[in-house]
Amino acid sequence: MDRTVGEPIAMSALLSVRHVSRRFGGFRVLRDVSFDVREGSITGLIGPNGAGKSTLFNIVSGFLPPSEGEIDYAGRTITRDSVQQRSERGLLRSFQTPQVFNDLTVWENLIVGCHKNGRSGVVEGLLGLPQVRRERRAAVEQAERIIEAFDLSSVRDRFAGQLPGGKQRIVELARAVIARPRLLCLDEPSSGLSADEVRDLMARIIRLNHDGLTFLLVSHDMELMTVCETIHALCFGEIIASGDSAYIQANARVREAYLGA
Amino acid sequence: MAGSVDRPAPAALKGALVLTGLAIWAAIPFLIGRGGVDILVFAGLYTIAGIGVAFLLGQCGIVSLAQSVFYGIGAYSIAYGTTVLGWPIPLCIVVGLVISGAVALVVGVPVLRLSGYFLALATLALAIIGHVLFQQWDWLTGGTLGIGGVPHIALFGLSLNTPFRFYYLIWPCALIVLWLHANLLRSRTGIALRAMRDAPTAAKVTGIAIGSLKLRIFILSALVGSLAGSLFALYVSFVSVDSFGVDRAIGFLLIAVLGGARSIAGTVVGALFVTAAPNLLGRLGEVHEVVFAVLLIIAVIYLPSGFGGAIASVWTRLRTWTARLASQSP
Repeated sequence: MDRTVGEPIAMSALLSVRHVSRRFGGFRVLRDVSFDVREGSITGLIGPNGAGKSTLFNIVSGFLPPSEGEIDYAGRTITRDSVQQRSERGLLRSFQTPQVFNDLTVWENLIVGCHKNGRSGVVEGLLGLPQVRRERRAAVEQAERIIEAFDLSSVRDRFAGQLPGGKQRIVELARAVIARPRLLCLDEPSSGLSADEVRDLMARIIRLNHDGLTFLLVSHDMELMTVCETIHALCFGEIIASGDSAYIQANARVREAYLGA
Repeated sequence: MAGSVDRPAPAALKGALVLTGLAIWAAIPFLIGRGGVDILVFAGLYTIAGIGVAFLLGQCGIVSLAQSVFYGIGAYSIAYGTTVLGWPIPLCIVVGLVISGAVALVVGVPVLRLSGYFLALATLALAIIGHVLFQQWDWLTGGTLGIGGVPHIALFGLSLNTPFRFYYLIWPCALIVLWLHANLLRSRTGIALRAMRDAPTAAKVTGIAIGSLKLRIFILSALVGSLAGSLFALYVSFVSVDSFGVDRAIGFLLIAVLGGARSIAGTVVGALFVTAAPNLLGRLGEVHEVVFAVLLIIAVIYLPSGFGGAIASVWTRLRTWTARLASQSP
């Protein structure tokens, strides 16, 4: 399972991070990072605090530009695309702290998730044209399915901001899934979840992956990371090892850097 | 079977309520004096201008004090277009809308990059600049002397030259504007606005183009402000720079805050308060401005969601109470 560190590993890469570096002033957070996320895979990213995981995640999702390097997604370079453009092409992400729309109900949060599937604008909205009603009906149908699939019926009409953190995380995931992403990047998705909820989350990720959804996960939770086909270990802004969960856990450099052992 | 008999009742009740409301609305001018109808006409005008500000504040979280500028552009388009250029009124209204939309577009691109207090201050600066320009460009606006002799609008050969007649034009216009905004709130754009207000970062990830959406709503707000200004000029027949000062901008913001920025219907109550309260309190003499200010403070402290929020809260409690009564009855 040993691979050359930092080299692209997949034939049909949905996402390619190519020689990405990022500096904040004189401080270099990422140093020539390259890896691929194969279409249909679950790929993980681990590393100790300060390794550069969040910076890399922000660069992939468009919240930060890289200082050097390129990001390719679905056959085109998206390095300079906005978050919204990436979202429209199916590259979505979640956040370390769940970002739900607090003053909207769970149901409405899901309807927002359908936003990129519609086309009506301000004028159509003002006039209440049939297109608006058609889009609304389609969004409602999708929301009904997702509510069932994610067991959210009991909290459907509650304001998302009033839900416990674990439930908010599920709402955030459901909202991302309803948007029909092609690549879903989850940032510490098990943070704040109970052991049972983590197992539910793992089962959900595997199920969605079987349905064709590609995942990029960032997590400290090695139990969760066992769902990953490939894990890249990041340390001081460099990938120090790439491989499956067993390989990463056994790797001496990873143990030294990540586990302090 | 009882259920099927009972079910149409709410629809019938709603219909009866609407008809009663319409009858009361149509009868009001016959029940109050000319001064009262004049206040209601201004409340209608301010409802139209205020909904633009309320929508920006309540749905986008943007505090705008620039509405007086667009109100002024709409008014001067009518005044200059009809009296100097001799254009027909509908063309003048459209020109006002186009100029307001263009100004909102040009100004909105840089200003809407700001947020919070900085954005509010930037819109205040726009209100001040607008007022100064209205004053300085006297070749266009008549400066402090203003422009008089603006023709009254006529419908079906009837000149709307009295408060009584204008009342029946302004309120249908206001209701149409409110209805359009209610439609927008229910649409894909409306829910995107609420999402953007709650969590802008997450809204971006769901594909909502935040910058462009804010700009569009700012332009929409400018358009309704301009429409209100045009109708104002047609009502009063005289347009002077005094009508478009910073106090007017604050008045429009007050409508949004008092009405409850998240409630469309609340804007009507806010507009009624802002127009009627100073007039009614005027009977108290010189102290009336102090009393009005105290009332504002009390309203803001005890009604943080505005009149609209308070009405919605009472309505929800009433529904819960009636539902509980219904469930307890044998």
